[in-house]
Amino acid sequence: MRRKRLEKTVLIAAKAAGLAFFLTLVLFPFYWMILTSFKPLEEIMLQPANLGLELARIDFEAYREVLFDHGFAGYIFNSAYVALTTVVLSLGLAVAGAYAVARLQFKGRNPMSVGILAIYMFPAIVLVVPLYVIFSRLGLRDSLHVLILVYLAQTLPVALYMLRGYFRSLPVELEHAGLTDGCTRWGVIWRIVIPLSAPALATAALYTFMIAWNEFLFAFMFLDTPEKFTLARGVVQLSSSVHLSKQLVMAASVLVTVPILVLFLFFERHLVRGLTAGAMKG
Amino acid sequence: MAALTVQGIRKRFGKVPALRGVDLQVADGEFCVLLGPSGCGKSTLLSIVAGLTAPDEGSILFDGRPVDHLSPRERDVAMVFQSYALYPHMTVAENMGFGLRMRRVPKSEIRRSVLDAARLLGIENLLDRKPRDLSGGQRQRVAMGRAIVRRPNLFLLDEPLSNLDARLRAGVRLELKRIHQQLRGTVVYVTHDQVEALTLGEQVVVMGEGRIHQADAPERIYSRPRSTFVARFIGSPEMNLYRGQIVHEKGKNRFEGPGFAVDIGRTQIPAGEAELGIRPEDIRMGGPEFSLTARVQLVSHLGAEKIVNAQIGNAPITFCVSKESRLQADDRVYLVMPPEGLHFFRNGLRVD
Repeated sequence: MRRKRLEKTVLIAAKAAGLAFFLTLVLFPFYWMILTSFKPLEEIMLQPANLGLELARIDFEAYREVLFDHGFAGYIFNSAYVALTTVVLSLGLAVAGAYAVARLQFKGRNPMSVGILAIYMFPAIVLVVPLYVIFSRLGLRDSLHVLILVYLAQTLPVALYMLRGYFRSLPVELEHAGLTDGCTRWGVIWRIVIPLSAPALATAALYTFMIAWNEFLFAFMFLDTPEKFTLARGVVQLSSSVHLSKQLVMAASVLVTVPILVLFLFFERHLVRGLTAGAMKG
Repeated sequence: MAALTVQGIRKRFGKVPALRGVDLQVADGEFCVLLGPSGCGKSTLLSIVAGLTAPDEGSILFDGRPVDHLSPRERDVAMVFQSYALYPHMTVAENMGFGLRMRRVPKSEIRRSVLDAARLLGIENLLDRKPRDLSGGQRQRVAMGRAIVRRPNLFLLDEPLSNLDARLRAGVRLELKRIHQQLRGTVVYVTHDQVEALTLGEQVVVMGEGRIHQADAPERIYSRPRSTFVARFIGSPEMNLYRGQIVHEKGKNRFEGPGFAVDIGRTQIPAGEAELGIRPEDIRMGGPEFSLTARVQLVSHLGAEKIVNAQIGNAPITFCVSKESRLQADDRVYLVMPPEGLHFFRNGLRVD
């Protein structure tokens, strides 16, 4: 008995220690980032190792400066525009494409099905140079819409892959029921498949948004005009500028991170499975 | 409601033939049951009639008009699926009204039709629930309701009772019959359960290996099976079948089976090889004046009667006795096979 109790205590202690260790590892950079963004420059310079933050001395000056003096208000708008457009287009195309591959019979279905992931296997760095050349020659390079096109090409395969798997798991009888009840194919997709795929759609949307929001390589290569910068591009611009002020970079980083966190928390409740409960005999 | 005609339907899945030329007539308002073992193509046929699967060959007609080019929506059929396939994100009322909503029926009318159908099935109190909050029997009713609400050309039911427990099944079977008598809809009903087929069907279609073996009234399916396949498939316990010879001699006709011979009375069947069939319930026991002797091997109680497995000549035989019978294993009994209970087949097909 005593041995069992001892074992239990040790286990709980080990669990707690492990959790604490990893949480610190993950959360400390975030803490540092937020902390620094709230401090005026002098304080960071004078006491760089001070990990405490006095509530009364929280300073939003860095945010004001970043947003309005360094153009981040515009970058936020650009990033949001690029990311949301990518999400909408990517989901729209992925739903149609994944449904076709999952359910419809047509010539070349299997090669297409396999091809979806094969496209994704190309590393972005291999593609960036040729694309840079192509879009430069076409005179389209310095544009948010080209960026959207590139992000679409990057996210669509994964979105297709995720949705295809999910669509296949939906009972086909439900769609047959919809067809005999008088739906067209599009009606079946819109009224039955999409409502039942909410978890997969939410996951795909979140993934697409994160990629488009955080993407740096293509934004760095393609965008020249500062008014067209996305957030990730803007942060790099800021951190490499001459008058380096840490609190500004940190505030900008917070601005990049927070929307993703909020979005994740918002979508999280949609990520539950089991929406089809009750459809079948059970 | 419409009459259904199926003409020369063939369908393969890859290299596997599912239907090998099926022809069928279902009259307007008739309850037609497709009966067969699993894999015989009956569900495929249903799916082709609904327009969900395209046949390789052949034609489907409603009231004499081909509907092959029409989508399921345009064919206006209602289907009840084995798995029920209720829309999990909709309430019972929404599930039942969905077909009408897709056909742009006014809301007030939808509400009325749904309520009517719900009353007919006794599920008015469930209308606001989601399918996940229903029991199996309730889901089955909702699935039926979804079909009934629509007043379609055809009702197609794909083993709708197979997921219910035995007691519930008997009840719903009666109810189905009542509903059909009330609505007089044309029904095509798929099942592998012969009791369901014989009790529900006005026309029973026995299918096997992608073919129709017999399409007939249930009494005739039972009393005059057209092939040994039908004879074996219908009836429980299974019909006894013996290979042997029909012999005509001095005005007497008899069948010589494996190790026994039966007097077959007056007959038109020419002499030669044949298969004799007799149902266990048509066999009677008699006194020592009868020459057919059998040795009892196993007696099983079924409640209302007893089933006896015995050995006759070199072949096994199954027959029924009353529940009062005191037969035991190793008993020797005298059996009577009345000529009117005998069936004769040649090359698998009925000859008498």
